[in-house]
Parts: sequence; structure tokens; C-alpha cells
Amino acid sequence: MAFDINRYFDFAVIWRYLPALLVGLWTNLLLTVLGFVAGGVVLGTLLAFANLSKTRVVRWPAFAFVEFWRSTPLLVQAIWIHFAFPIITGYSTTPFQSGLLALVLNVAAYCSEIIRAGILGVPQGQYEAARALGLRATPLWGRVVLPQAMRLVIPPLVGTSISIFKATAILQVLAINDLMRAASRISSYTYKPIEIYTTTALLAFLAGLAITLGGARLEAVFRREAR
Amino acid sequence: MEFQLSVVLRNYPLLLAGAWMTLIITAIALTVGVTVGGVLCAARLSPVRWQRRFAASYILFFRVTPEMILIFWAYFCIPLVTGLRISGLWAGAIALGLVASAYYAEIFRAGIQALPKGQPEAALSLGMRGIPLWRFVILPQALRLMVPPLVNYFTELLKNTTLLSAIGVGDLALQAYLLGGKTYRYVEFLTAIAFIYFLIIFPLSLLSRRLEHQGGR
Repeated sequence: MAFDINRYFDFAVIWRYLPALLVGLWTNLLLTVLGFVAGGVVLGTLLAFANLSKTRVVRWPAFAFVEFWRSTPLLVQAIWIHFAFPIITGYSTTPFQSGLLALVLNVAAYCSEIIRAGILGVPQGQYEAARALGLRATPLWGRVVLPQAMRLVIPPLVGTSISIFKATAILQVLAINDLMRAASRISSYTYKPIEIYTTTALLAFLAGLAITLGGARLEAVFRREAR
Repeated sequence: MEFQLSVVLRNYPLLLAGAWMTLIITAIALTVGVTVGGVLCAARLSPVRWQRRFAASYILFFRVTPEMILIFWAYFCIPLVTGLRISGLWAGAIALGLVASAYYAEIFRAGIQALPKGQPEAALSLGMRGIPLWRFVILPQALRLMVPPLVNYFTELLKNTTLLSAIGVGDLALQAYLLGGKTYRYVEFLTAIAFIYFLIIFPLSLLSRRLEHQGGR
């Protein structure tokens, strides 16, 4: 008898539940974008500048925050925010809010180091030359230092997007309706774990691949412009 | 609310069991990661094209797919596909190990390729080949370059061991979460383990940064 894959692998169940899985994947992608923009770009930049500040009261808390968040697992951070934070503050958050907050703070800690390295990567001579030309703080930063720092920062910053995407899958421990949670629910409902989890892994791989390839292309564009 | 450290100290046996489990997961994943990573690195540098292609695809797949999904796949699908009875610990730790192998392979390759071409060429011209070439020329220099990224990825691996708590493996994170639920002392238990992870990972990351600054000297 010929080998018939349909006997071992139920494609109908995949087609039936693919839309639900894609809705879950959408949550992961949304979290990735929010984490990247709010955490990586906005909070990361603020933390980088705080970390470079000459004032000790500003620098030390920023340093402690970055090191602590970089040295603890995201899963622990997420459950800490979801279960311990409400007890301390009396303000409780939904799983999505807790997960997003943990992700944003985690990404900010990572990205602030990249941004800080980029700013430090601008040679000292550039500051000296700008000052010698009589530039004050605003044009010195706006027209000399930051444009050069951006070129150093953007490629590695874009490179973190795949790590952020992978990290969003961790947040399912808080029961956010993401891809993993959709997969678990559909799998226990249909009792077709092989089909559902394999499809889920493939979807996640394709999304991760798209993010990596898109990021690589963006990096190439910035590298070319930097020359 | 008040912070009761005593409730954490009173429950130390379970936390210790969790820490032990975390150690076992790390050991399995590290062993799998280094072994498979070494083979992958050899394949990636091989003159045979299909081996290079296979290693490159493997590395790409395991670097872009979220660890959590691979752990779930391994936990639910390996027993059904192979018919083997496999515990969450082994399924999850092997999944983490396979992910680690992709990163380790790239670290090994980068270390070997960072050596100046003149080094293996000089050794070859002195008549060294095979094991002596690797043992006395390439590896001593390449290993020095590999140590900082290896330590760095080790800290990532340690953080990833917590993902196994999602499939019910009683590691440090899961024990603290369960104890928190039982006593309703989430703040104490979760803060305590956050500090434990910090106290292990932070020195390692400092070490890795320090070695990196010293360069390949």
C-alpha cells in the first residue's frame, strides 16, 4: 500500500484552525512592535542618557536598573510584575498589561546598552571640533553627535527585534492570548497536538525569518548610507 | 504590607530542590549544546556543500524560532512521534540544548575564523596537520576568543531554563511561583528568586565583559 501522509497528519484541522493561530501570532507581533518602540527606542534612549549622565543621582539608579533587568530572566520579571506588583501598589494589571510592561522594561535595559555604546562610539574629536567651531549644546548634539551615533546604533538595535519576538512567546505564562496559548487551547480541544504544534512552530519560524530578513535588509540600507 | 523573609527561609527545601532542577536543566542543555554545536561548526566549515547548507539551515531555524514554542513542541510531540516516554525535563532541556547548539556553533566558527590565515598556513608549512595543528595552533588561540561569548550565552541559557516551568518542570522559578500561591507571599518568593538569579548571572556577565575588554591576549 502506498504511503499516505493524510493517515498520519490531519491537514483539515490545520486549515480549520489556522485563522485562530494567526490571530494569536498577531498578538506576538503587536507585542514585538510595542516592545521595540516603547522599550527599545523611547525608554532605552532615556536610560542610555541617564547612564551617561555626570550626575550620580541620575546615573546610579539607571545603572542598577539596567544591570538588574539584564541579569534576571524575563519569565521571573513577568510573573513578578503580574503577581507581586499589585500586592505592593494595590493596583492590578491585566495579563496583557503586565506582560507588556515586563517586556518594555526588559527590552529597554538591553537596548540602552546598545544606544550608550553608540553614543560613546562617536570619537571625542567630533565634540572638540564642534566646540572649537563655537557650537552650543543643541546643535552640537542635534547636528554633530546624534546623526553619527544613530548610524552606529540603528543596525544593532534592529538586530534585537528578533530577540524581542522570541521573548514575546515567554509572556504566555501569564495567559495572554498569544500564539502559544491559542495553540495549547486548540490542541487540547481537538486532540491533535502534532498538527497544531508543528503548524505553530512553522508559523513562528516564518514570522521570525521575516523579521530577521527584514532587519538584515534595513541594516544593509543603513550601512550603505553610513559610508 | 511587610516583607517577611522568614517565610522564604522556612521553605528553603523546596527552593533548594528547584535550584537543583535548574542546575540539571542547565547541565543537560549545555552538554547537548556544546556537543551538537561542535558538530555543526565542523559541518559549517566543511568543504562538502550539503553539509554546509544543512548546518546553515539548522542554525537559522533554531536562532529565529522562539524557545518557548520549541519546548512545547518537544514536550507534546516527541512522545507521539517517536513513541518514547520522555519527561518534561528531558524534552525541554534537549530543546534548549538544540537552540544553544545553534548559538555555540556560530561562536565556535567565529572564533576559528577570527584567526589570521597565516597561523594555520605557518603550521601547515612546518608539516603540522590534523590533531597537532588543532591542538597546538588553532584551538589555543581560538578558545581564548571564544570564552567571552561562550560565558555570555551561558547566562542566556541560564535565563532560558525558567521557560521549562511552563511545561511543569519544577525549577527554581516554578517552585517560587507555587510557594507564592500557597502562602500568598508572592512578593517575598518572587523577589528572593529574582535576587538569586541576579547573584548568579550578574558576576558571569561582568566576567564576560571583562574578558572581552582584555581581547584575545
